[in-house]
Amino acid sequence: MNATACYFENSMAQESTEIARGLRRRDPDLLDRLIEQYQRRLLRYLVYLTGSRELADDLFQETWIRVLERGHQFNDKYTFSTWLFAVARNLTIDYMRRKQPASLDGLLNDEEKTFDVPATGQASAFDLTMQREQNEQISAGMEHLPAEYREALVLRFQEGMSLEEIADVAQVPLGTVKSRIYRGLSALEPWVKGATL
Amino acid sequence: MKNDAHERARKLIALADATTVSPSDRAWMATHMEECAACRAFADNVRETIHALRGIPIAAERSLVSTTQARVRRRALELQRQRERIWLVSVSCIAVTLGTLLSTFALWRGFAWLGERTQLNSSIWQVGFLVLCVMPALVVGIILLASDTHLSDHTGSYQG
Repeated sequence: MNATACYFENSMAQESTEIARGLRRRDPDLLDRLIEQYQRRLLRYLVYLTGSRELADDLFQETWIRVLERGHQFNDKYTFSTWLFAVARNLTIDYMRRKQPASLDGLLNDEEKTFDVPATGQASAFDLTMQREQNEQISAGMEHLPAEYREALVLRFQEGMSLEEIADVAQVPLGTVKSRIYRGLSALEPWVKGATL
Repeated sequence: MKNDAHERARKLIALADATTVSPSDRAWMATHMEECAACRAFADNVRETIHALRGIPIAAERSLVSTTQARVRRRALELQRQRERIWLVSVSCIAVTLGTLLSTFALWRGFAWLGERTQLNSSIWQVGFLVLCVMPALVVGIILLASDTHLSDHTGSYQG
């Protein structure tokens, strides 16, 4: 067990080192590969962070440009995804500040926001419908959550990040991350109940 | 039952898969969950929420990915050219500085030699050296000033 964990840790560290080296060289082939590899995760994070698919698309492109320009700042003691999400997060905050002087709070409770979340699956028609309904309910619930809670939930349950990694991305203490996850899940409760009723 | 107990249980449920729950907490949780229907329902909801969150797919469109890749490549090329230009300018600056230092030294020696040969007072050839040094800057200054004043007015009219 320990040997397996050690193997994975080593290979991840090696991958981070290779990415850091490539980013310092501004290797376009490496960036192409990274864009392909992280497209889904980054876009999902941005969609939930901003609440707007259009804005997420714009920030998606800007994030990769920033990765190219600031690649030399990537520290290979972190995983690439942690750094990537931190870059995307800072860009989003910058964008919100330019738009209106605010932090991530500026992304909260915009009634016009809708998540463009398609539902897919390979299950039966009934399961598919149920799943779609549940996804829609959760997506609707997510819209009403403060952006900080949304972010914590997405990073934890969609990206599978550890609490420490989320704290690194969001630049908040570990206790705050725990509290955001707990509060986020609690706030989603009525929406899940709505889906199962 | 105290609200604190429910909150403690709910926090443990929400963070169960992210943190290590101690055996004592685990035992306390088991007892609490047996007694508390509300926390059991919360646990079910959390499970469903997490399942739903993991099941929501969002994919980037192919065009977005290819546009991003093209933009990144273009920007990489721009940055490379910019770096090359900076390198060229830096090398030129170093070459000019070295050239200036060497030529100043040579000129100084030349003026000293000339002053010695013509038996001039040292302050005279030193002033001559200074004039020669500032001459290019003076000429350029005059040209620049003239280009934006009535001196450059080719029609000859003066609008005061």
